[in-house]
Amino acid sequence: MKYRKTIGVIVVICLICISWVTGNQYFKPTPVKLMVPKGWSEPVYDFKSNPLTKEGIELGRQLFYDTRLSKDGTISCGTCHQQFGAFNTYDHSLSHGYNNSLSTRNAPGLFNLAWQKEFMWDGGINHLDLQPLAPITADTEMAESIQNVLSKLQAEKEYRRLFKAAFGDEKITTEKLTKAVSQFVLTFVSGNSKYDRVMQGVDTFILPEKLGYDIFKKKCVSCHTEPMFTDYSYRNIGMPIDPFLKDLGRMKITNDPMDSLKFKVPSLRNVMRSFPYGHDGRFFSVMTVMEHYRKNMVPDPRTDPLLQNRLPLSNFEIGQLTAFLHTLTDTSFLKNPNFAAPGKGISTTAPVDIHN
Amino acid sequence: MTSSVQSQKTQQLMIHFQNRFGEALLVPEQSYIMYGDTITINRFKYYVSHFELTNEQGKKIILPVQYYLIDAADSVSGNIILNIPIGQYRSIHFLLGVDSLRNVSGVQSGALDPLHGMFWTWNSGYIMAKLEGTATSSQIAGKQFTYHIGGFRGNNNTARSITLPLSVTNNKVSIITDAKKWFERPYPLIIAKEPVCHSPGTLAVSIANNYVNMFSILSQQK
Ligand code: HEC
Ligand code: HEC
Repeated sequence: MKYRKTIGVIVVICLICISWVTGNQYFKPTPVKLMVPKGWSEPVYDFKSNPLTKEGIELGRQLFYDTRLSKDGTISCGTCHQQFGAFNTYDHSLSHGYNNSLSTRNAPGLFNLAWQKEFMWDGGINHLDLQPLAPITADTEMAESIQNVLSKLQAEKEYRRLFKAAFGDEKITTEKLTKAVSQFVLTFVSGNSKYDRVMQGVDTFILPEKLGYDIFKKKCVSCHTEPMFTDYSYRNIGMPIDPFLKDLGRMKITNDPMDSLKFKVPSLRNVMRSFPYGHDGRFFSVMTVMEHYRKNMVPDPRTDPLLQNRLPLSNFEIGQLTAFLHTLTDTSFLKNPNFAAPGKGISTTAPVDIHN
Repeated sequence: MTSSVQSQKTQQLMIHFQNRFGEALLVPEQSYIMYGDTITINRFKYYVSHFELTNEQGKKIILPVQYYLIDAADSVSGNIILNIPIGQYRSIHFLLGVDSLRNVSGVQSGALDPLHGMFWTWNSGYIMAKLEGTATSSQIAGKQFTYHIGGFRGNNNTARSITLPLSVTNNKVSIITDAKKWFERPYPLIIAKEPVCHSPGTLAVSIANNYVNMFSILSQQK
């Protein structure tokens, strides 16, 4: 009698378990915590509205490298944002988009995005989740409509499975798509360069690096502020307007003439890997940037007060500064297999023919 | 004084937005004459949100925040049903557009989903209202005019608070939305001179100061 009762209880428990699993209640993605390097401030991205999960990051990675996000199926985020160039467009002043078009700006590297509030050279995008919408819909980039992207993905069994794993539901929406992409790119944390190790006391600068760091702290940190190597402000550094691109920078967003030709201060982390430089890629090398600061710049009244008399640099200083900039290269980031295209081995050296 | 709708007896208020161009019903791809110019409207879309009511006692009732995208090409989109406390009301208030908070909070869903084409991707922010078409006076390709009105920061804000009288307690109200008002007062918008507005700024604000006048109450039936 007692025996039968126990069996009854076990059966009931089993039935409850089965209905629990089959009844879609069972959605529990694996939480992931963002690695915050020692001494950095807390990220500004609101992780409460989009908690990082293993499944979300994996989905974002698939999407980042999926050419179906473009109209003709040839361009993914990864086409323009290449890991060996710290996710810039390696060796391209402007990026190549849909149907042989050219973007109007140089693709910046992507890293430490969780600490950034505004995106693009002019800060026009005010939330990381909104970022994918711009390249997807731009005629010179992926030239596709959001609706088409959602339909294409919804038709794929594998994507329905991945969305369900990440968000508990097969229905693919703009919000889920963009949040997944954010999750992936948020994991791009670059904070393990030689500079970082020196700051943590586990490595030491050689003399030129040390001298370069001292010069940097005198002449560059007011804009390229540590530890991000940018203060995220918009500044006019006396780069004359390109007559074809006619890019007014920050003024395009604020309509304020005082913001004419102001662009976001770029981070200098991994800078030795992310040539060419400047918002339109006009500087071929760090050397040309230095020549700009000390000689070629054309200051106007809206040029930053710090640069009204240009930025004097001796040949010696340029040499030391360059040695220091090399210490900002974070190879563990550039070679992190978790950031590479899914299923493919990581390619850490630039291909010989980089024109895609 | 304000109070929320929770825990009170409610009734339904059915709002119908009827789109017009002057006196005529606005039908996409149909032509209208304006100051001797032949105008065809191809697209007319706008956001409304933040509905509130003032009752007979002068008390303001704030309804839960919802966003609606009204599209002249989709007549159903003009029908909005609100659950409101039972009572007598003298006016209705709503926001034409999307408040600044929603403009800075990442990707939204529902009516605010960026896939509805009412979001600027290169300069984050909603297009509050959009009017597109052709006009014989237009001097640009395809004789077009396209007015995408948005901007939410400070002086560039183009969302507008609307207040309309709600004289009786009926549960139906029809609101006329007259697109012709975009061209009239206080800023005389001349298509031949300004056929395009695609970014926040002075022109967008001038047009917003016109479209604030486009709503009126049609009639109220039992
Ligand atoms: C055709 C090339 C191209 C494609 C494809 C592309 N991007 Fe970009 N990306 C750029 C360029 C160029 C910029 C800089 C644009 C600007 O500042 O106006 C940029 C900027 C960004 C930024 C802002 C970085 C910063 O520091 O402000 C992020 C984030 C980004 N892209 C992510 C993505 C994602 C995610 C995708 C895929 C959905 C993608 N990009 C697809 C070229 C591209
Ligand atoms: C007044 C602020 C300011 C100062 C000081 C300053 N920079 Fe910059 N830097 C900028 C801005 C803004 C840009 C982007 C300009 C653009 O492309 O429009 C930039 C761009 C660069 C770039 C190109 C990076 C890239 O990815 O495109 C390098 C390299 C650079 N700076 C190095 C330095 C060095 C080295 C110093 C000190 C000798 C220095 N900067 C001082 C504001 C500053």
